[in-house]
Amino acid sequence: MKTITNILLLAVSLVIIGCSKHHDSRIHVREGLGSDSLGSNIVTRPVAHAFSALVGDGIEITQAVTRRNDAGMLELQVDGYNSSYKTKRFRYRVEWLDEQGMLIQTKTSVWLPASAMGKSPFSLKAVAPRTEAVNFRMDTRKWE
Amino acid sequence: MKTTITRIITVLGILICGCNQGTENIDIMHDDAKAVMELDYRDFDQAASEMVQSMLGSGALKKDDGSRYVVTTARIINDTMQRIDTDQLMAKIEEELMNSGQVVMTSAVGGKGASDKMVYEVREIRDSDVGDEFQEDTLQKKRQLIAPELSIAGKIFQRNIRYDKKRQQVEYYFQLKVTDLKTGLRFWQKESLIGKRGSNKSVSW
Repeated sequence: MKTITNILLLAVSLVIIGCSKHHDSRIHVREGLGSDSLGSNIVTRPVAHAFSALVGDGIEITQAVTRRNDAGMLELQVDGYNSSYKTKRFRYRVEWLDEQGMLIQTKTSVWLPASAMGKSPFSLKAVAPRTEAVNFRMDTRKWE
Repeated sequence: MKTTITRIITVLGILICGCNQGTENIDIMHDDAKAVMELDYRDFDQAASEMVQSMLGSGALKKDDGSRYVVTTARIINDTMQRIDTDQLMAKIEEELMNSGQVVMTSAVGGKGASDKMVYEVREIRDSDVGDEFQEDTLQKKRQLIAPELSIAGKIFQRNIRYDKKRQQVEYYFQLKVTDLKTGLRFWQKESLIGKRGSNKSVSW
């Protein structure tokens, strides 16, 4: 019994190692196009997808980068990753704050649509409409 | 018998009251209502926000000497099947551009004529007999108006596509461009697309 368990563990490990190929992180090869992984293999896919849904995989924000452009406006780029296997459609709103942390009233702070495909990275960009903006806050919600 | 009729009337009354949809104000900050096939305020907000962010992010409105461009809104053509006042889009854009501190809008020249007719009406008064009634130094002198340097022109158009037997796809394109009036060169341009898919029964005009 122990031997069978060991063999099974070894087989699973080999499959996992065999499936994990190191791509250039800047290039994303989608399911059905690249080599099979546990999540895309025809046998293991339903289990992986069900498990992902069960644990509630969703969108994760990896970093937010700001810089001031030539015109003196603050630019924001938010990078994230959709851990789910499903495309996540959502809305986001960026609000800009001045040096004192006061909200800058602007017509550009509206809910904008965004979408991230399953198991894919995504980026959102926003530009502050005033030079007074030094910071931001961002809100998200589900696409109705 | 009388009791039964009373019960029926009561039930009908409750049903009628239940069906009556009361009027409510829209929470425009967090509107979770379903999308409509026509363009609504959320679509204009989205298009205006995308346009302004692109315009300001491009640096096209930044003058090298630090001064502000004088900008006018030229013709914005509504080529959709809906009756749209294009000011619904441009008022937001103009407001944000002015608040950015990079441009100043002129009310003296525009695609629909002067956006404030008073600019010329006071001059007509100056040149008429009525002008004699005013203190001379309070009347506008000649050659005081400043001509625009940049112009914003654009178009909103619509494409209706049959998606399948029961659904249609409506695509709304918002196109804007900024032109330097001195040289005729185009400094900036953007297209923003809003697509909707819904029942054939929904009317998009």
